[in-house]
Amino acid sequence: MAVAVLAQLVVFPWLVGQGLNFEAKLSVDIAISIVLAVSLTMVNGFTGQFSIGHAAFMAVGAYTSACVVYYGSHRIYGNPEMLGGMLSAMKEGRSGAPWFTGADLLFAGAVLSGGVVAAGCGYLVGLPSLRLKGDYLAIVTLGFGEIVRALVQSQTSEVLSEGSSVTEDHLKTITAWQGKLTTDDYLTAANVAEVPWYLWPKYVGGALGFAGLPSYNSLFWAVLAAGATLVVAYRIKTSTYGRAFLSIREDEIAAEAMGVNTTAYKVKAFAIAAFFAGIAGGLFCHTIGVQLNPGELGFQKSFDIIIMVVLGGMGSISGAAIAAALVTWIPEKLRKPEELQGMWVAGVTLIVLGIVIGVILHAAGRNRALGKGIAVIGGVALGLSGLAQLAIKYEVDLSRYRMVLFALALIAMMLLRPQGLLGLRELWDRSLWLELFARRSTDAKGGGRS
Amino acid sequence: MDGLAFGSLIALVSLGYTMVYGILKFINFAHSDVFVLGAWTSYAIAVGAGLAMRQEAGNAVTPWIFWLAVSGVGAAFLLLAWERLLLDRVPHGVRSLLPGRGTAVTVGGAAAAGWSVIGLISVAGMLGKSKPAGDGAGWQTYAAGGVILLASMMACGLIGFTIERLAYKPLRKAPRLNVLITAIGVSLLLQNMGQLDWMFGTRPQSMPTLLPDKVLVEFGGGAAGQNSVKLRLLDVFGAGTAVVLMVVLDVLVFRTKLGRAMRAVSYNERTASLMGIPVDRVISFTFVLGAALAAAGGFLFAQKYSGIQQSAAPVWVLLGLKAFIAAVVGGIGNIRGAMLGGLLIGLAEMFVRQYQSPALVDVYVFGILILVLLVKPTGLLGSRMQEKV
Amino acid sequence: MTQPILRVSGVSKSFGGLKAVQDFSLEISAGEVQGLIGPNGAGKTTCFNLITGVYTPDVGSVNLLGRDIQGARPYSIAALGMARTFQNIRLFGELPVLDNVRLACHLRVRHTLASAVLKLPLHRGEERAIRERAMDLLAIFGLDSRADEQAKNLPYGDQRRLEIARALATGPKVLLLDEPAAGMNPQEKVELRKLILSVRDRFGVAVLLIEHDMGVVMNLCERITVLNFGQTIAVGTPAEVQGNPKVVEAYLGTE
Repeated sequence: MAVAVLAQLVVFPWLVGQGLNFEAKLSVDIAISIVLAVSLTMVNGFTGQFSIGHAAFMAVGAYTSACVVYYGSHRIYGNPEMLGGMLSAMKEGRSGAPWFTGADLLFAGAVLSGGVVAAGCGYLVGLPSLRLKGDYLAIVTLGFGEIVRALVQSQTSEVLSEGSSVTEDHLKTITAWQGKLTTDDYLTAANVAEVPWYLWPKYVGGALGFAGLPSYNSLFWAVLAAGATLVVAYRIKTSTYGRAFLSIREDEIAAEAMGVNTTAYKVKAFAIAAFFAGIAGGLFCHTIGVQLNPGELGFQKSFDIIIMVVLGGMGSISGAAIAAALVTWIPEKLRKPEELQGMWVAGVTLIVLGIVIGVILHAAGRNRALGKGIAVIGGVALGLSGLAQLAIKYEVDLSRYRMVLFALALIAMMLLRPQGLLGLRELWDRSLWLELFARRSTDAKGGGRS
Repeated sequence: MDGLAFGSLIALVSLGYTMVYGILKFINFAHSDVFVLGAWTSYAIAVGAGLAMRQEAGNAVTPWIFWLAVSGVGAAFLLLAWERLLLDRVPHGVRSLLPGRGTAVTVGGAAAAGWSVIGLISVAGMLGKSKPAGDGAGWQTYAAGGVILLASMMACGLIGFTIERLAYKPLRKAPRLNVLITAIGVSLLLQNMGQLDWMFGTRPQSMPTLLPDKVLVEFGGGAAGQNSVKLRLLDVFGAGTAVVLMVVLDVLVFRTKLGRAMRAVSYNERTASLMGIPVDRVISFTFVLGAALAAAGGFLFAQKYSGIQQSAAPVWVLLGLKAFIAAVVGGIGNIRGAMLGGLLIGLAEMFVRQYQSPALVDVYVFGILILVLLVKPTGLLGSRMQEKV
Repeated sequence: MTQPILRVSGVSKSFGGLKAVQDFSLEISAGEVQGLIGPNGAGKTTCFNLITGVYTPDVGSVNLLGRDIQGARPYSIAALGMARTFQNIRLFGELPVLDNVRLACHLRVRHTLASAVLKLPLHRGEERAIRERAMDLLAIFGLDSRADEQAKNLPYGDQRRLEIARALATGPKVLLLDEPAAGMNPQEKVELRKLILSVRDRFGVAVLLIEHDMGVVMNLCERITVLNFGQTIAVGTPAEVQGNPKVVEAYLGTE
């Protein structure tokens, strides 16, 4: 695992030079989605606690890192421009710059601090909430998510920059603490640096969003984060702690009887998940072309992440990652239905392949699930391509149907295959492949009960 | 005053939440979307009845209802034929995938309901036309308003029924989490379908005033009527309607046989079915009832804030969520609790809006929710449930 | 005269108006096998729940190895050395058989979560030890060949045995078994009896079991407590209890 990640680190700085193009941006989006989905699966999937306010942690992380970068940049460099090196570049025209500058450290530190603050919030929120069960927990987490959003929106809509002024009340606070400025003073860029850090959260742009953030995020950082999240999640899941988390999901009472402090562990998982969500948020707000806006990080985003986790299988890291990639990739493709047209070839091929495999397996006395699965995937591909063709013919903008499609997928999934793509298991789990190729028994359920 | 009016609206919607939770022990996330749907349906029906202008080109929804009703009848006949002639000849294994016995009746009933809605729309249209020309609304307009309310309630009831049959019923035996996720899915579906152009579109429309309105009394007040508490006739009517509906519900649940059946199912589903109660029908009825009430809430809301008629934007869904909070605060599963909760939340919201800042409203309302859940999770009037080890 | 490992004194619990358990007392010493019997609804599982921390007694005390544990949470009681199985099997169904047992080893683990993520030596060593211990335990119970299967796919009898193995993995001094023989055929019950005795001998645990099957109980337990409607109606050796008219009356001749 770790080796693979290291290899990526070596490869990607080379790729970084690619600069700004559609694929790169999409890959960054996918990487961020993976971080979010895997982090949510750590709470929802591993411990079975259904939290639907996850985007709030993303928001907390985003705003924290935004503050640190923006105002910190003012303090250190005197301006909020993007001063990072090649690693952070997604624009052409930074060639010739060094690989790595001090500003990159600021960015990395900011993102990490975003994660830490988010984890702290996760801890605080989790402590009281995780005593509640199922439905109630879901609502409380939703509630917290909305509170965060509302709090941000209620702040002043100003972001400090050259020539802007601090409101009187706030000035008075500064004066009281520093005894320097008078209420007649306006802040210039130099003075922005003097605004004490505890006032930063006031000036995050409120409902209008935090504009003017430098775009430090790049393929390098995004992939690094995604890789780290995957590795950490995997290591947790396969460790004794992972088993403890999973046991809570399976049967909380039994887990507690076997020595697991369920409340403490639930909170732990919650905090860890919040940490990674915070990191994702920090990366997100510094991505080129992204405007940090509290409205964007409300329950809709939370639901987006939930869709990824549910479709992939709650508790499956690989499932969450695959689903995250799909859920992020498909809408992009929906915008250009021409590209989807060709998929019918793949679709038909897969269906045929699936049927053939199914027949072979059946004849060998084995489970037909693999064949069925392939055929279903083929069917989906076919369906998508069909939609694309219809869209072109009737000039429908498919991207508006994105959520409708996902909502239908969610409902269909629950009705037909509630465990999602992989259930609790990973792509590489032995029990998964055992079951796929298992001998077909004549009982309704495999394994015959006495 | 405003708070009470608002609160009673919220109460209407929260009743739906609480009833479903009481019967099925799960929180129907999609309910707030029915509320929004109710407002929009009223609007669409008003358009269909010729009482409102749609501000952009595009199909009105009434043709949809018409065609659905027609196809519903057609489908019902087909299903009847299927049931009588073919069903018994199909091997058992295949049968589970196809419509079963009784589906014809269900679809037929639904179609009938659809036709009644159409009938009501026509009535409303006629009333509207019969009004003498000129400014101002005559009694015909108000009557039309009442009819539209009824039609909208029926339409949404139908939708609630459909949702329950298609999405929730198959999951009766599944773990609660799955149903929750499905509910979220349905909610998302409704929200986003409503935003499509051929449905309702994302642009705001304005709802015609269909209930009598007049400023009756003003309390307090600063310059230019700011910060004064106005008592509008509309509010009185709105709150009045809501109260009437709630009283009807109360009587239904606590004084009739049907209500007793509902309560029985909420205590113990299996025992209730053993006592001869048609559990499926009771459950469906509960959903229909809840949806109808939500629709009424939507209609009244649209009346009150006629200019703010918007698409299924977060603002509206948030409202539905607040109704949900109201249900929880009052004690989920408890009907009178939901009414109480609704009033409380409504008042709270108005107070915060007046005396604090509007942006912080959500914080306070959700804060109340969290507080209640942490201190007394079963709500003000609710009761405990324990898991057996 | 051995010191009792577990001493329950005068424990009572009411739910609303219902007195589920009244003035329940029991003492068990190392290596003893005791039984708790009574008709359905007598409150036996409730007693288990009271002893293991699932419920808090209204009055009375529960003392394990010299420490008062009434009111403590189940996980800390498990850490102190008391483990149980459940009347309705509560395995971790989706998890492999091996993991069910490995989970029960978790409470003795010393390395931290961070250590696990960083794969530090302590983590690696403890993981290896856990796996070994779990496989050994499974081998004793004859389940090692199915270690990678999902627990829910096991036949019923194996599931019951797995639950016992899991409980043992916590390294308890007292083992509480709730109806371990439920749903077993006579052959399996004989095996079970042998199993329990061998467990007692091999691991040196005290065993307290709830059982309906008189054959199992009488043949296995050194001492039996009989409950009816939450109250203790008889305590003694199998012979004493069998002859007790109150007991016979309570059961009305069940097998």
